[in-house]
Amino acid sequence: MRPGFFLREAWRSIRANAAISVAATVTVMIAVFILGAVIPSFLYVQSTVDKQKDRLDISVYISDSATNAQVQGLSDRLEQMKGEGLVKSYSYVSKDDALKELKGRLNNPDIIELLPSNPLPASFKVLPTDPERNPDIAARLQDSPALDRTLENGISYAKETSDRLLKILKVIQIAGVVLIGVLLVASVLLIGNTIRLSIFARRREVEVMRLVGATNWFIRWPFVIEGIICGVIGAAAAILLIWGAKIAVVDDFVRSNTDGSLTRDEATTIGFVWLGLILIVAGGLVGALGSGITLRRFLKV
Amino acid sequence: MSTDSAADQQAAPATGRAARRSRDAERRIDRRSLLRPGDGPMIVFEGVVKRYGKDAVGLDGVSLSIDAGEFVFLVGASGSGKSTFIRLLNREMEPTEGRVIVGGRDLGRMRRSKVPYLRRGIGCVFQDFKLLPGRSVYDNIGYALEVTGDNPRSIRRKVPEILSLVGLSDKGERLPNELSGGEQQRVSIARAFVNHPRLLIADEPTGNLDPDTSIGIMQLLYRINRTGTTVIMATHDRDLVDKMQMRVIALERGKVVRDERQARYATVEP
Repeated sequence: MRPGFFLREAWRSIRANAAISVAATVTVMIAVFILGAVIPSFLYVQSTVDKQKDRLDISVYISDSATNAQVQGLSDRLEQMKGEGLVKSYSYVSKDDALKELKGRLNNPDIIELLPSNPLPASFKVLPTDPERNPDIAARLQDSPALDRTLENGISYAKETSDRLLKILKVIQIAGVVLIGVLLVASVLLIGNTIRLSIFARRREVEVMRLVGATNWFIRWPFVIEGIICGVIGAAAAILLIWGAKIAVVDDFVRSNTDGSLTRDEATTIGFVWLGLILIVAGGLVGALGSGITLRRFLKV
Repeated sequence: MSTDSAADQQAAPATGRAARRSRDAERRIDRRSLLRPGDGPMIVFEGVVKRYGKDAVGLDGVSLSIDAGEFVFLVGASGSGKSTFIRLLNREMEPTEGRVIVGGRDLGRMRRSKVPYLRRGIGCVFQDFKLLPGRSVYDNIGYALEVTGDNPRSIRRKVPEILSLVGLSDKGERLPNELSGGEQQRVSIARAFVNHPRLLIADEPTGNLDPDTSIGIMQLLYRINRTGTTVIMATHDRDLVDKMQMRVIALERGKVVRDERQARYATVEP
């Protein structure tokens, strides 16, 4: 309605109640800082989880004596399961590829040269869409004549490992969501409380405004704007802190980790710019809601 | 209230920008003058009872009528119901029983969202001034205009006008706590009158002031009354009431015990 007037009113009350405004801003800052630390960590864990899931693949070993037609039959079944969405992708690993891969993993690759022939079978590496359905995929390949029965009956996937890993990952995910939820609720309550203090200090003023015929929204807007200003400033301060922490701790840690054991997964987390934007919007929103809702009590009658 | 719904009904079938604009305009006018007593009385109380809790009685069956343009003193000891009477008028509270009609509007049937518009039509003056602290005299008066959506140019014109009317032309930039009690009350009256309300209610406006200052405030209220504004003033300032010779409504334990024109604070003992 009258943005200029409301802005001036909001600024006036921030200055007039400097102590409480600072308290509210610091509250937002702390809450947003914690949130800003938890969100990337959670996303990192989440991404690691996804990467771990990608490791829960299935190896389908092909007998050396299998005919081309039998191998093709196996490949057709995989193609069909891919069409059904059961299999995300699959790839053929020839005997030579398998040997090369083994060589790469050994500390002393020359030992391979001692082998009279290549003992490794060719195989399909099958990446499931959902590792929990690995048994289903295995069941549908089980009767293929192309399988190398000498090796884990032809199909191998880490049954127990995958079950346990999946369970742990699920717990981590749920815990992360709960933690973020609790933090959000706690910060809204904390900020609401601080703003309630500020409004309580000015309830006489609100009373006078009502007596001269100000509508509820006319009274409310400056408070809401004030909440947004405190929220955004608090969030901005928190983002600066997080940025400092990122440079001082995280980046340094990643750099010193030269063997890349931490970053090898290429697990990703949220970009800093996006994180900052989200936190700023969250700060402003929490400030606006906090003051808007708290004011309701004083606007009755 | 009939005018409001009638305007809505009339405009309802019409569509388009022009129709909407005229409807908005009508609504604006309607809001500015919520109080429209016509030829009828400004205030009507019909069997008004106000109880606080179980035993405490604010008003106990008050029925009376006050015409537009009247100046009325509401007298009585503390706790006789003066403040309750005043606070029922701008719907700071609602009666337990009975009807309060202000400017032709039954306040009991008024929607809560309309109350701010009612209050813009009623100037209020209090014993404790109720000025906004931390705002200059100018801004205090300006605020009452801002809430009505008045534009800045009109505010810059009206505030100095009203300040000179109450004799505070040179105090516009002062803060309320830098002024004397009498001056603060003048600011409060200026704020109450700046929208040129049809009704002005004053709850013990001279309660905190010395006799000389009180007379100044009284004269100000009288001048406002002469412009056609109905003035209701609760007071227990005997000298003031006796001097003015206006209508006096005396309350005692929530009941009207006397209602006389051109009267004194107390009945003259024979």
